[in-house]
Amino acid sequence: MRVWDTSHLLDDIPAHKQASAEHVYDPADSQANLYRIRFHFKQLQARLILGLVLGFLLPNALLSAYFHFQFTHTLKESAKLSLAAVAESQKNTIDLYLQERVVNLYNLFHSKDFSLNPTQEQMDTLLANLKHFNDGFVDVGFFDPKGVQIAYAGPFHALLGMDYSHESWYRNLLEDHRNYLISDIYLGFRKIPHFTIAIKQVFDNQTYMMRASLDPDKFYIFLRAISQGKEVESTLINHEGIYQVVDPGRSQFPNRSDFIPPTASPAGVEEFERDDQKMLVAFTPIKETPWTLLAMQPVSVAQAGMIKARLVLTISLVVISLLLSAIIFFTIKRLVDRARRMAEKGQQLQEMLAHASKLASIGELAAGVAHEINNPLAIIMATSGVIRDMLNPEFELDHSPEAIYKELSVIDTAANRAKGITRKLQDMGKSRVPSVVECDVNALLGEVVASLKKVELKPKHIEIANNLASDLPRIFAEPEPLRQVFANILINASDAIDDKGTISITTEAKEDTILVTITDSGRGIPPENLPRIFNPFFTTKGGGRGTGLGLSIAASIVKYLGGVIRVNSIPGTGSSFTILLPINAQAQKTIKQHDK
Amino acid sequence: MDKKQREFKVLLVDDEDIFREATARQLSVRGFIVLTADSGEAAVESVKNDPPEVVVLDQQMPGMHGSDTFIAIKKIDPLIEVIMLTGNTSVDNAIELMQMGTFDYLMKPINIDELLYKIEDAYTRKKLNEKQQREAGQ
Repeated sequence: MRVWDTSHLLDDIPAHKQASAEHVYDPADSQANLYRIRFHFKQLQARLILGLVLGFLLPNALLSAYFHFQFTHTLKESAKLSLAAVAESQKNTIDLYLQERVVNLYNLFHSKDFSLNPTQEQMDTLLANLKHFNDGFVDVGFFDPKGVQIAYAGPFHALLGMDYSHESWYRNLLEDHRNYLISDIYLGFRKIPHFTIAIKQVFDNQTYMMRASLDPDKFYIFLRAISQGKEVESTLINHEGIYQVVDPGRSQFPNRSDFIPPTASPAGVEEFERDDQKMLVAFTPIKETPWTLLAMQPVSVAQAGMIKARLVLTISLVVISLLLSAIIFFTIKRLVDRARRMAEKGQQLQEMLAHASKLASIGELAAGVAHEINNPLAIIMATSGVIRDMLNPEFELDHSPEAIYKELSVIDTAANRAKGITRKLQDMGKSRVPSVVECDVNALLGEVVASLKKVELKPKHIEIANNLASDLPRIFAEPEPLRQVFANILINASDAIDDKGTISITTEAKEDTILVTITDSGRGIPPENLPRIFNPFFTTKGGGRGTGLGLSIAASIVKYLGGVIRVNSIPGTGSSFTILLPINAQAQKTIKQHDK
Repeated sequence: MDKKQREFKVLLVDDEDIFREATARQLSVRGFIVLTADSGEAAVESVKNDPPEVVVLDQQMPGMHGSDTFIAIKKIDPLIEVIMLTGNTSVDNAIELMQMGTFDYLMKPINIDELLYKIEDAYTRKKLNEKQQREAGQ
């Protein structure tokens, strides 16, 4: 068995003509498609990542911000409360301390040894007793109703016998309803800062006073001793804001405090700035004196816990967000990459498929061409064989020039037939430069029929029945291809009629379309052939009369003009071909204007 | 060429008149008794009326197709050998023809000598088959 390789058939067709202009497999196009796909998926990926990151992170961030705010607020309040508690506790201790000192002094007045004319010895004993309770006591003095210090024990002997009736503490206590008084820090006669605890006692309507002075430095040491809380700095100020007891490193009497409590609220917690440092200050009045306790703490220390917690929270939030974003990014990237690869593969597959089907249709066309060309070639070879036989003396045939000439003309005819086929094929593939003019379809049909009558219709007895619309609009088209359409269909009609018959030609205009109907009384087309009649190389005409290209060419021309060919056929009765041609409205307008 | 009397009938079927006649003339001068038919239907009639030894049959014909004609001929006489002429060059078609039981096939355009040898081979096989059948019958 012999097997042919059909691949050589394509070799004869130049590469650039192997594909039609409509569906060309172009590697550049393919690359563009890939870029399009990649761009599309890049966009998709960006949108997905943005959407998911926003969707996941935005509520997260909002919730975190809310909790952060609440947390900060609560912790700030808690720092304030904590400092206020420290101040309150200190204040209570100070009050207790001062009350004790007052009680110390009271007890002296009421001791059995006390007399209104105390001796120096008695006074020294009193001071020793006071110092036994608290070493903050500096001295002690006794004042007669005139305000003269009549007895004194302590380091400042010059004070004995001095008149205190004009001293503010003396006058205040005299006028006060209370029996005791604790003064502000002052310099007094001794010119050294100190403060006084004084008590009064009435004997026989005479007011006697006992007073002891205390060392503010000792008081400061006490204050230091009772202070609690990290870096809490306690200070006492009077109602004018003058330091009473203060860290010597910070300031000294009689300087004014940086912070003065608001008059509206004697106790509270506030923030203020000192030496470029934010401070939290809790203030509360001392019950026993007109002093106010200030407990100060740097905000950074007070809120250290909060700041640390906030830092941990923020860092973990950022880490979680980054982790989440990374997971979203890589997951989506992987998914989109996979989808993109699949789409690219699909695209490549589709292109390969299109290419393959293109090759297949070229193969079909090539096979059709080969078959049609092979027929005249077969005639040429057979006839040249006949001539060779004529010239072979063995066969003793007529080899006169006339006989040989006759055979050669047969060869010419066959060669011309092959040439005709190739020319028609070329016409099919050619992209014509349209020379569009206004066409009178009726006139064109008339010309075609007249020329066909000379040759194709001559041997038969065919009656042509014209039923042409007189008011047929002219259409804008190329006349030559249109002539070819009519001729091809009319030749088929004629071929369908065996010897005697009728071909009727009808034209009419319907809306935007011209209808040309060519009906023959011929053999008709078998139903199984109807779907194939427009295929190239499909023919039922034997004896080499048909190429199978006529209707195929007609259909492609009509399609080019924007129209369509419809076929009705009843085997044994005849066929009817209707050519529908669009009337170009724009073109009509142009023509009318031109006519004016 | 070889001008000898082969003295057996060859039926040449093709719708192309010129090709058929030219080929017939070439076969005639080579000693064959050449019968011709221009269609499948005519070929079947010819086989019925005047059975040939070998049929040279065109595959692509309007009306009755070559393949149908082949089947019809084989029905009349299974021993008649058929050489198919084809314009179709596909491998599928070649395989189809051989599976159908044609003796061989030739692609158009044909070389007369090639056709000649194929006809002679076909004839030899037919005679061989007839002999075998006769022996089997006895």
